Amino acid sequence: MLSIKNLTASINGTPVLKGIDLEIKAGEIHAIMGPNGSGKSTLGKVLVGHPSYEVTGGEVTFDGKNLFDLEPDVRARAGLFMGFQHPIEVPGVSNAAFLRLAYNKKAEAEGRDELDPLEFDDFIREKIKLVSMKEEFLDRSLNEGFSGGEKKRNEILQMAVLEPKLAILDELDSGLDIDALRVLGDAVNRLMRPERALLVITHFPRILETIRPQFVHVLSGGRILKSAGPELAVELEERGYDWVLEEAAAGGSR
Amino acid sequence: MTPAVDASPLSGLLTVPRPEGWEALRTAAEARLTGQELPDTSLEDWKYLDLAALRDLAFRPAVAALPALASADVQPYVHPEMMASRQVFVNGFHAPHASCATGLPPGVRFFPISAASEACRLLGTLGEGAPDLFEDLNTARFTEGAVLLVPQNVRVEVPLHLLFLNRPAGDGALPTVLPRVLVALDRGAELELVEEHHGEGAYLSCPVVEIRVAEGAILRHERIQRESPEAFHFGALKAEVARGGQYHSRTLSFGGRLSRQRPRVRLAEGAEATLDGLALLGGQQVADTHSFLHHAEPHGTSRQLHKCVVDGQARAVFDGQIRVAPGAQVTDAQQQSRNLLLSEKARVDTKPQLEIYADDVKCSHGAAVGQLDPDELFYLQSRGLDPEDARNLLTYGFAADLLARIPVASLRRSLRHLVLARTQAASLGDLA
Repeated sequence: MLSIKNLTASINGTPVLKGIDLEIKAGEIHAIMGPNGSGKSTLGKVLVGHPSYEVTGGEVTFDGKNLFDLEPDVRARAGLFMGFQHPIEVPGVSNAAFLRLAYNKKAEAEGRDELDPLEFDDFIREKIKLVSMKEEFLDRSLNEGFSGGEKKRNEILQMAVLEPKLAILDELDSGLDIDALRVLGDAVNRLMRPERALLVITHFPRILETIRPQFVHVLSGGRILKSAGPELAVELEERGYDWVLEEAAAGGSR
Repeated sequence: MTPAVDASPLSGLLTVPRPEGWEALRTAAEARLTGQELPDTSLEDWKYLDLAALRDLAFRPAVAALPALASADVQPYVHPEMMASRQVFVNGFHAPHASCATGLPPGVRFFPISAASEACRLLGTLGEGAPDLFEDLNTARFTEGAVLLVPQNVRVEVPLHLLFLNRPAGDGALPTVLPRVLVALDRGAELELVEEHHGEGAYLSCPVVEIRVAEGAILRHERIQRESPEAFHFGALKAEVARGGQYHSRTLSFGGRLSRQRPRVRLAEGAEATLDGLALLGGQQVADTHSFLHHAEPHGTSRQLHKCVVDGQARAVFDGQIRVAPGAQVTDAQQQSRNLLLSEKARVDTKPQLEIYADDVKCSHGAAVGQLDPDELFYLQSRGLDPEDARNLLTYGFAADLLARIPVASLRRSLRHLVLARTQAASLGDLA
């Protein structure tokens, strides 16, 4: 589904991704872990086309198409989604109206029927149960005045509405208490399908107890230093990141 | 001394005899007008609002609309929530058949000012600062308007509607409407007032609204200026808020070729005020807001958020003065001027002014002029909205943000539709 080959990128002329290789197939859950400032979030933002980053080399294909030929909105309508660590507040636009607009743009792109406000109302009331969001948050302006946790809930709600093929979740656990983390983790699991895939970006292994990846990658200094199975997350929980960095420095990366 | 506004195109308006009542007020206003020419842009107060367009025009007092407006003409402007609590004025004349004030609680009086006579001693006494010539013009020659009196501790559940409809004349001269409004809330009273100005064709509208909020009373005031694109609108608002009273207003300017809003509010001890504003402009429109918020006594709170969305070759002006008087300690005043320019030729001049003469205060102000935030644009794009839709949605949201707390649902909805249409966001579907 997603194939990344020797991807390099920079921000303001400073290289931040220095040759990333990664293959994600349908049905897979991958976790990218690493110390702060390692480039994990950058990888996600580059994939969804954030304008602050410049792709300087390498190739990425998504469903066989060159990802970098597609504008960010086209990528989204093609089924790529990123749940952001710090979602933006948009005053004046109601959450419900925004969600319906986003849903209908995707439906239109896929040749499905668009939903009118009444139909969408029924649709969204089911979806908010999945993330245990209160109905009042639908009438409020998009993310405006939402707490960190409420914003994360809203990101997963958007994921539930858009049903992406590949969802990138950036630091979903930041700003969440343990109960909310479980709710959102469960919601993400329920949205998972054999034809979909997940890329979970996280500093702390905690979230991987709920969203269980088959593949764990350690990213640092703009490179993937180590890739392994879920046991790597357990090891990182016990030992931290330093040993991976040291191993890589000694040339022992697998 | 130069002759009475002879040099001014407005001079013709003073040749008609002084109407009955308030003789002293009128004479004083007329005296101030004597010798006054139309201000030009060399004056600080009019630096950004060029009145040259008025110079080649002729003005005369408006006459009653003939034929009188049928109820079908008024229907589009009536809100179901305010069916039985409205006073309608056409060309400044009271329209009794279009008005209905039967839905008010006992004791609340809402009637045309022509029926008030000089018994309304408050008139002309409220507010601070020197009137400008348009306000003086109103005082000198107003004939009609509304009086609204709310007795002590009466909390009016139903919102009240004050509707001014203006129609053009067929003879070349611009009809001039001079509506006068007096609102007085006695102690502990509470009210929601909607003031709307709509019109067609070319005319000059100079409304003056005077407000007295007594101790502990609360007035929420929605002010909607939807004059015609050819009209001129110069409005004055003068409010006094007594101890512990609250005055919350929102002025939304959509219409007019040239317009100015001039709200002035005086806050007594522990009083609160909100003075929000939105100007949504395009074409060649010029809209100016000159506000003055006076914290005259301690423990007052004020919030002012002024937004302008300017397209085409339009121009917005914001001059927001906040004064914290000596001794007005523990004042909390916050002012924000936020402006969005949608075209290369659009222009905003913003001038926040804080004058603080007390030392224990919390005051802040900020001004921003710019384009849409790239991070917000990207966020919407990442959800599948193409760049144009994202831009339109954000522009809509920037303006519609000020509509969210309008308590009259049908009004809120119709204004959202107006903003959708004016921000090219209508193609995004029904977001209202």
